[in-house]
Amino acid sequence: MANALSTRRRTIILLALTSIILITLDLQNSSVVSGLRSLFGTVFHPIESVTRVITRPIGNTWHGISDYNNVIDENVLLKQRIAQQEGATIAAAASVRLSQELLALNGLPTLAGINTVTAQVIGDSPSNFSQTIEINQGSKSGIRVGMPVLNAAGLVGKITKTFADRSVVMLITDPDFALSVKVVNSPQKVTTTTIARVNTATTSPVIPVDPITSVPDASTTTSTTTTSTIARFTPSVTTLPSTPTGVSSITIPFASELAVRETGVIEGRGPSRQPTVRFIDNSLRFGEIESGVPIVTAGGSRSLAPPDILIGKVSRVVERLGSAGPVLEIELVADLSNLSFLRVLLYQPITEKTTP
Amino acid sequence: MNRLILIIASRWSRLVLVLFLVLSLQTTVFADLRPFGIAAQVMLLFVACAGVSFGVSVGAVVGLIAGLMYDFVLTTPIGLGSLALGLAGATAGLLIYFYPNPTWWMQVIAVAVVSALGEIYFPLAQSMVGLDGWLQFRLLKVIAVVVVFNVVLAPGVLLISRWTLSERKNPI
Repeated sequence: MANALSTRRRTIILLALTSIILITLDLQNSSVVSGLRSLFGTVFHPIESVTRVITRPIGNTWHGISDYNNVIDENVLLKQRIAQQEGATIAAAASVRLSQELLALNGLPTLAGINTVTAQVIGDSPSNFSQTIEINQGSKSGIRVGMPVLNAAGLVGKITKTFADRSVVMLITDPDFALSVKVVNSPQKVTTTTIARVNTATTSPVIPVDPITSVPDASTTTSTTTTSTIARFTPSVTTLPSTPTGVSSITIPFASELAVRETGVIEGRGPSRQPTVRFIDNSLRFGEIESGVPIVTAGGSRSLAPPDILIGKVSRVVERLGSAGPVLEIELVADLSNLSFLRVLLYQPITEKTTP
Repeated sequence: MNRLILIIASRWSRLVLVLFLVLSLQTTVFADLRPFGIAAQVMLLFVACAGVSFGVSVGAVVGLIAGLMYDFVLTTPIGLGSLALGLAGATAGLLIYFYPNPTWWMQVIAVAVVSALGEIYFPLAQSMVGLDGWLQFRLLKVIAVVVVFNVVLAPGVLLISRWTLSERKNPI
């Protein structure tokens, strides 16, 4: 009896030690462990493929029974949505093209210049404690760890593991997912500037006039009136020199009407909770964030994703005390429960490329 | 040569081959069929069945091997699954410690309890290495679905685990 107890104790201690050693080795990025993982993948992949083919009818039957009504409803809804969006898509495509041309003209990076690989989702995570999917393209197609993955709506996740002909994508909702993002906020109406011009050749002002500002009567001069809602701040009036009659004026954009961007970090919180954006600066110029504000990738030399990939929109703002800044809950534009075809952006930041 | 045949014919070799099949089912059909968004855990079920049939030591070793194989297909660090499933197997083996000749329904109940505990061990192990964020209310839903699934499948898997791990007569 005592002998059996001792054997049991030894077995469990040995088990715990083995596991801890393996965890330590893997967290140290040991090449032995990654080699073993790769070898196991090579051996296991054919078995998995055969099982997938054999069990596909079971999966199809299950989905046929459990999802039939949902698919019918979804089909009706999608037909309505397609009809609504057809017109808007053409206008949006034209705007996107124009925007890309402008960015290219100014030497700014655009998504159009990045090669992509289209991949199909071939499997979900077998575990309930990781939010990953498997796609049917791998390192042979140029896919590397860290590359961003998109669907037609927006960002879906990033590559976390690659094999020769398949890869594992970590979804945005995984608690291990983190990425720098920009919050594109409408500015708070703090200061407005108007330029009123009475000119015989120019019939309409080039800048929209705020209704709360006064328009001075000036036949030959241009006045700038600044009004403010900031407490104890008196706006000044600036008089600009007159312009010759018939000469068009320079368009001065309202600084206060330009979209204000602030960076933060998006983090997943599991499948049942929306991801959040943290580390948003609580600055006055940034203004109050409202629901519906878009969230896009921040880009930058160290970010794994290029700038301006749409991620989602703010669904809730959780204010925090002090200068910590708010926490934003994000409603993703991509439906992660229904992924089929994805695009992998073959993008690597400069810092990754230079690393030998 | 005889020694090699003995190793190949041993229950541990048979276990690895059977675990390959169980793992392939886990990563394909059971990863795809997700009632209420939860994947059934047949690897955990197999380990629990081995534990309730053969005791703490065998349960722990089967859990270690199964967990290690599971770790190779997951993105979490290798060793987490083996720790969690090893503990689950050892816990399942405690049934025999208290009841040396358990009835079939006692084994099924033990499998249900171990399935619930196994689903807690895994996120606990994850949070130990800093992969936190999984210990949330959703865990209750995960446990409920996994327990129901495992109870339904337990009688069949108990037979398979017994066949896999039973000692055979010397083939030579």
